Amino acid sequence: MPRLPPSIFWRARREISPVASLLLPVCRTLQSTANELRWIRDHVHRTPSVIPAGIRIWQLCEERSRGVPLQYLLKTQPFGPLEILCRKGVLIPRQETESYTFHLSSILSSSSSSSSSSSPLTILDLCTGTGCIPLLLLCCSQKSSSHFSCTGIDISARAISLAKQNLSHNLALIPSASSSIQFIRGDIFSTKFTSEIYAQHLPDAAEIDVLTANPPYISPSDFRSQTARSVRHYEPRLALVPDSVPSEVSKKYGCREEDVFYARILEIAGDLKPKRVVLEVAGWEQAVRVVEMAQAQRDTRGTDYKVIEIWRDDVHGVRDAGESTEIWGQRIRVKGEGDGRVVYLSRLLD
Amino acid sequence: MLAVPGVYRTCTWSLRRAGFPSSFLRRSSTAKHVSALPPKLLERARILSAEHDQLSAKLADDFDAKTAERAGEIFRVAAAFKQYEKAKAALSELESLLKSNDAEMRELAQEDLNDTNTQLSDSSRELSVALTPKHPFADMPCLIEVVPGPGGTEGRFFADTVFKMYQAYCENKGFRSRVVKYESSDSIGAKGSEGEIALQEAVLEVLDEGSYAHFRGEAGMHRVQRVPATETKGRTHTSAVAVWVLPSFPENSTSSSASEWDNPESDFYIDPTDVKSEKMRASGAGGQHVNKTESAIRLTHIPTGITVSMQDSRSQHTNRESAWKVLRSRIAQKRREEREEVARNLRSSVLAQSQLTRGDKIRTYNYGQDRCTDHRAGVDFHNLPDVLRGGPTLGKVMEAVHTYLAESDIQALIADEAAAAIASTKAKNGK
Ligand SMILES: C[S@@+](CC[C@H](N)C(=O)[O-])C[C@H]1O[C@@H](n2cnc3c(N)ncnc32)[C@H](O)[C@@H]1O
Repeated sequence: MPRLPPSIFWRARREISPVASLLLPVCRTLQSTANELRWIRDHVHRTPSVIPAGIRIWQLCEERSRGVPLQYLLKTQPFGPLEILCRKGVLIPRQETESYTFHLSSILSSSSSSSSSSSPLTILDLCTGTGCIPLLLLCCSQKSSSHFSCTGIDISARAISLAKQNLSHNLALIPSASSSIQFIRGDIFSTKFTSEIYAQHLPDAAEIDVLTANPPYISPSDFRSQTARSVRHYEPRLALVPDSVPSEVSKKYGCREEDVFYARILEIAGDLKPKRVVLEVAGWEQAVRVVEMAQAQRDTRGTDYKVIEIWRDDVHGVRDAGESTEIWGQRIRVKGEGDGRVVYLSRLLD
Repeated sequence: MLAVPGVYRTCTWSLRRAGFPSSFLRRSSTAKHVSALPPKLLERARILSAEHDQLSAKLADDFDAKTAERAGEIFRVAAAFKQYEKAKAALSELESLLKSNDAEMRELAQEDLNDTNTQLSDSSRELSVALTPKHPFADMPCLIEVVPGPGGTEGRFFADTVFKMYQAYCENKGFRSRVVKYESSDSIGAKGSEGEIALQEAVLEVLDEGSYAHFRGEAGMHRVQRVPATETKGRTHTSAVAVWVLPSFPENSTSSSASEWDNPESDFYIDPTDVKSEKMRASGAGGQHVNKTESAIRLTHIPTGITVSMQDSRSQHTNRESAWKVLRSRIAQKRREEREEVARNLRSSVLAQSQLTRGDKIRTYNYGQDRCTDHRAGVDFHNLPDVLRGGPTLGKVMEAVHTYLAESDIQALIADEAAAAIASTKAKNGK
């Protein structure tokens, strides 16, 4: 990253506040610095403490200047109308995730209003982390009449405990959550995964309507060179890089290291046969690879996704430009603006 | 409710395009009597009153919610018209008595005359208020936007004071309010003489229904005269702050208001393809690679060029929703004003042409003299600190403005009738 000119430090100090020059190197612009300082101040004034406010503000700015993510310092991140609790050891929800979760929710609500079935919509979120995806889907469904039944799975005990806290933290906004959402610890690579899920947590022969996942998708070399310092140093590697998977397991899939979770999740999808699958990816190239993996299942497993789409970073509330591309002779609709962010698969012609 | 039929050519005060003759402004603030009602208005009152009698008779036989609603709507006009008729009849009786040959009789009549005259003017006033169509936004919640006028930081500091004044006023009155936007300018460090921050732009939403009617008279230029903190020679400076009052949709947008958004006839309708949405942040990697905190959004309504930017919240989603809210409100207000402009042009043939323009001040806050003056209502109030605390004194100022607004609405209504009469005569003569 280019070095900031000294004059901008001087302006931050003079025009914003002496502590602003601490934030500037991580925030990069004066505007962003002013915003972060305001949020830090608001946080300090909202959370009473015996330590004087001035000292707490200075301490938080000092930690931020070392690259600690703002969301860990303020302990929350807004996600739609929800306030998601953030703790070290669990990935912070991203804005792109928020955008496509809203988009998915609008797809679900328009399709559920056209179908007359009264059985609840079953949602399975793999690699759930804070639980932000199912919690937001459930929150959006509160206004509509449709019932949801959500299950979030994560390998990390910290993530599962935080997801449960997030459930109770946001109960006022999603009163139905206590009965319609569960968070369970589990390793999706475990050979017994699908049978256990069915045996223990899903109603008999339940059909899964939506399978969502934002799995670790960064290769070890990209992790070293392409991630922001505050991500690399402060967020859990387990959530970002798929190298926790034993090599004998990943070898079985014969794909790139960073794609191994998609291979496994598509395999699970082949067993559970969800109507829709929503997978977050690192960018356009990975999106294309995941689309190809899904298409390959048609021959190997007979899984036919009638609709395949790629969604870009900003997809919710962004006008549809009518973009499309072709992969292996199949027309793929491309929605939104920015880099490729989601591969959307559907067995329904919606 | 929002699709306004053309007959509602009501005149509302809004500074952006207000145009009342100043002679009228002065008169209206003191006027206690509404001069003789134009025949057209009386005719309308008579028709409505007859309708009310009919409906009441019908309701006595068999109750029906729709009929009851309509009867309720026109009850005030009917009641006022009856009072008016009574006073009129009493007056003509007194007048004939005054011509009597009996001196004692004449004296008695003379004694009653004053009372009856007052009754007549009270009832004609009540009648014209009842006939004045309600502003189409009157029942809605509102957004109060505060923007410093051109000039130095003093205006920005005072903008903060004005914003806090309305915030405190809402609290004192028990109105529910919410800060939608509160943006300071770059020099956050500096503080004004009363410890204010330098405000760039702020928006307060008052969620109670009817807030639009309550606050609409606050729209306009507010002027401050005081000695700034930075002033070393003790000189008084004058700066200005603009306040805009916009209609807003109720919080938990019910299905009916949501459908207003989708209804192209509605003032609040915006074609989504007319709006450009920009994220104000450096592009680059996204997703898991970074944990950005930038959440600013800017919306531009291409046909009107209206832009709204929002960066208060850490959530991009919340910023986008707030920006849409403000954009809808601004556009609805603009459309409304454009229609009022048409009505005013018709009226201007009747009312004189001295125009009050957007830049004219409506109110002055003078610290040295401990005084708050409303220039339209023509009233002075002391105890400025209480005004700025949003206390009862501000309530009195606003009450005076409400009276003023009601008077000007009536005058506009009368002028509309006169203009329509002229137009129809012209049309007849033209034939
Ligand atoms: C990128 S984070 C996604 C968190 C959350 N869904 C979100 O969008 O913010 C990936 C998550 O996958 C979990 N994870 C990693 N390996 C896993 C495995 N083998 N089985 C289940 N979850 C796993 C990590 O603990 C982490 O919480």
